[in-house]
Amino acid sequence: MKIIGLIIVVVTGALLIYAAADFPAWSDPASPASTYLSPHFIEKTMEETSVPNIVTAVLADYRGFDTMFETTVIFSAGVVCFFLLRISRREEEEPETRYYRHVLTGVTIQLKEGYKIPPSDDFERIDAAWTPPDLIIKTGCRILIPFVQLFALYVIAHGHHSPGGGFQGGVILGASIILLAISHDLRTAVRRMSEKLMAILCAVGVFIYAGTGALCLLLKLNFLDYSALAEVLHVDPITARSHGILIVEIGVGIAVMATMIWIYNNVSSAGRYRQGL
Amino acid sequence: MDIMNIIVCVLLFSGLFFLTGGAVGILRFPDFYSRLHPAGKLDTLGSLLAMTAFALFNLHHFSMGALLTSLKILLIVVFIFLASPTATHGIVDAGVRAGLAPWTKGEKRR
Repeated sequence: MKIIGLIIVVVTGALLIYAAADFPAWSDPASPASTYLSPHFIEKTMEETSVPNIVTAVLADYRGFDTMFETTVIFSAGVVCFFLLRISRREEEEPETRYYRHVLTGVTIQLKEGYKIPPSDDFERIDAAWTPPDLIIKTGCRILIPFVQLFALYVIAHGHHSPGGGFQGGVILGASIILLAISHDLRTAVRRMSEKLMAILCAVGVFIYAGTGALCLLLKLNFLDYSALAEVLHVDPITARSHGILIVEIGVGIAVMATMIWIYNNVSSAGRYRQGL
Repeated sequence: MDIMNIIVCVLLFSGLFFLTGGAVGILRFPDFYSRLHPAGKLDTLGSLLAMTAFALFNLHHFSMGALLTSLKILLIVVFIFLASPTATHGIVDAGVRAGLAPWTKGEKRR
């Protein structure tokens, strides 16, 4: 089996190298891409979409299909991580002794099997590998996380004018929650952003993107042709393209954020959602 | 050669001095904890001074846009000042919890 795999890899590599010879020379001004495609984007992006950042316009409008399936790839990465790693509650053996910590006094209680604790906010469930979160790190992260999230929203919303957009902003948003999980513990982060919410948000992000495309189809234009949104948004078709880009960027941001947190939760706790990195 | 240029040069070169010291310290110190000492302190101070120099240099041709950019650079300074020592503390904390004993005099360098 290994030899067959090796042969396939070598043959594919050889084909790719053979095909690379047909590429136009590096930065050749006469190549097809730079004779009419690039000049069109450089000269016409502003009048066609009213987006100053050409990269954003190309990414979310001119080749919106590609970006939509990139978002889908990220969604499937999260789902695959979930299916491979997550150990479901039924299969998982509940440990014989469980630990609870009284938050106000810091007293740890050990419970044997069969005993329960009255439902109350004063007790938090902890694991045998639990270590008290450090005060300096906790405070430092608590100060930083709001600014990180604010910056992430800025990156998403300002993608029209400066480098940024849904992918980058989504990653920063996800990193802020991961920072919370690192500085406090995984249970704290999961309490804020539960697993179910992550799964739903992951799908909602892709749905916003594909739904915007389908809405354009319903409004009698091509899939992902945002100028169809002009009727809904009450603006002219060019501004509608600019707004359409913002809508799909928000979708991408939501999907990327949820997937980042979902993958981190599954990988860091080996699918058990307990401590134990 | 006005006074602003001199201040910017002094800040920039002192920043570079501390950054170089930090790099030498990371290479020369004998163990994990002592290597984190220059990494945490000198890098913070070095980038702090250098960033302040950039913010001042940017104000050379004064305008509202330049002032805004300088304020953004100063914000970077504030966040480095918060984040870098916290991160160093976190790494040291993880080392202590993992049970790594500090280096003592006479031991081999590791």
